[in-house]
Amino acid sequence: MYSEQYEVQTEFFEGPLDLLLHLVNKNRMNILDIKISQITSEYLDYLMNKRGINPSRESDFLMTASTLIYIKSRSLLPFPEMSDEESSEEKFINTLAEYDKIKKITKLLKQMENNELLLWKREEVCENFETEEFYIKEISSFQLAEIFLNLIKKKDREEFVSIKSRNFSIQKKQKEILEILEAEGYLNFTNYIEMIGSVEEFFVAFFSLLEMVKRGVVIALQKRLFDTISVWKNGSYKIVQ
Amino acid sequence: MKEEKEFSLETIEQKAAFVESVLFVSKEPVEPEKIMSFLKCKNIKDFERILSTLNEMYKDSSRGIISKRSGGGLQLVTKIEMHNLLNDFFKIKKTSTLTIPSLETLSIVSYKQPVTLAEISRLRGVNSIGPAKNLLQKKLIKISGRKRVPGLPALYSTTKEFLLYFGLNDISELPSIEELTEMFEEKEQPSLFKR
Repeated sequence: MYSEQYEVQTEFFEGPLDLLLHLVNKNRMNILDIKISQITSEYLDYLMNKRGINPSRESDFLMTASTLIYIKSRSLLPFPEMSDEESSEEKFINTLAEYDKIKKITKLLKQMENNELLLWKREEVCENFETEEFYIKEISSFQLAEIFLNLIKKKDREEFVSIKSRNFSIQKKQKEILEILEAEGYLNFTNYIEMIGSVEEFFVAFFSLLEMVKRGVVIALQKRLFDTISVWKNGSYKIVQ
Repeated sequence: MKEEKEFSLETIEQKAAFVESVLFVSKEPVEPEKIMSFLKCKNIKDFERILSTLNEMYKDSSRGIISKRSGGGLQLVTKIEMHNLLNDFFKIKKTSTLTIPSLETLSIVSYKQPVTLAEISRLRGVNSIGPAKNLLQKKLIKISGRKRVPGLPALYSTTKEFLLYFGLNDISELPSIEELTEMFEEKEQPSLFKR
């Protein structure tokens, strides 16, 4: 298919957009000199005057333009000060040397901490000493009863709902449905799910039905929306035990 | 009524005894300046002499405590050799409360302060907000200001509690990086890689 390349025209650059991106990546052009808004508005004008769009060309433009925006916004954001001359290798070595120093200081602090732990100071014992005396206070029997009632109330509040966990497997459910179909030849799915207690089981049953329909084990039919689903065993299917 | 006998503060021994009683009562380290002004002791050398008189006394093996400078103050602490016995008696296990990440973070703050969290994280190579929070909670570091860069990030510095915890009198007592390198040079295990 004929694909016409759109060419950018600005005071700094003339040519296809991906060439511009290439030049920026190679540091041949300064991203700060490029006005993306200008490129975009010119491109929009170009599109207006065009009849029909070429999705491939348009998406290429979007892709390249967004990469340019990304590069430009990154160049505008402040970056941790690092000297530009440093190569990444030097940076790595410097970081390692710094980390080595930190390791040494950490070792030193650990030693100092251990030394300090051997010295006991006054405040250390009073708070923790086990033979600490309890403060005894006289209270009336009514107060005791009140405290007791409060404790009971607290206990009540602590009661929580236990969440029952029952596991339903799609395999088991499929077998169950198949057994019903074997026995009765027909299943009214709506009636069937009405007997089901939990939402979880209902989902499992429905997924089982979908699975069996997919595999061609059963035929399911729904006459209208929200109508009952009738299920029959697919005659041509043989159960492989 | 029994009249209390006035204790005179004339001889150096009497002054040392007074300093001892002050330190005994105080839970926290006492600033030397406070004692000096009370004793009307203007010369730091005179005060040092009082302290050495006290410490001379503590050197005796019949004494279980020593005086120690910590966090810019004076404090009475037990002698190191008492540690195990005190452990057995009080049934208190004194253990380190700082994890390695916390110690690493503290190392950076102690040597690079004031320093931002971003710098700490860069040097450690991992995000250090967790250890920093932990240290702030333990009051071993504090926010000492804001860096004048976009976002005004908080600058962290060590505290007086830091000095007390590590038994330092002043932050300048920490060895320089060069001294530190010498300290650990011999002890270092043979490296797996040739340098």
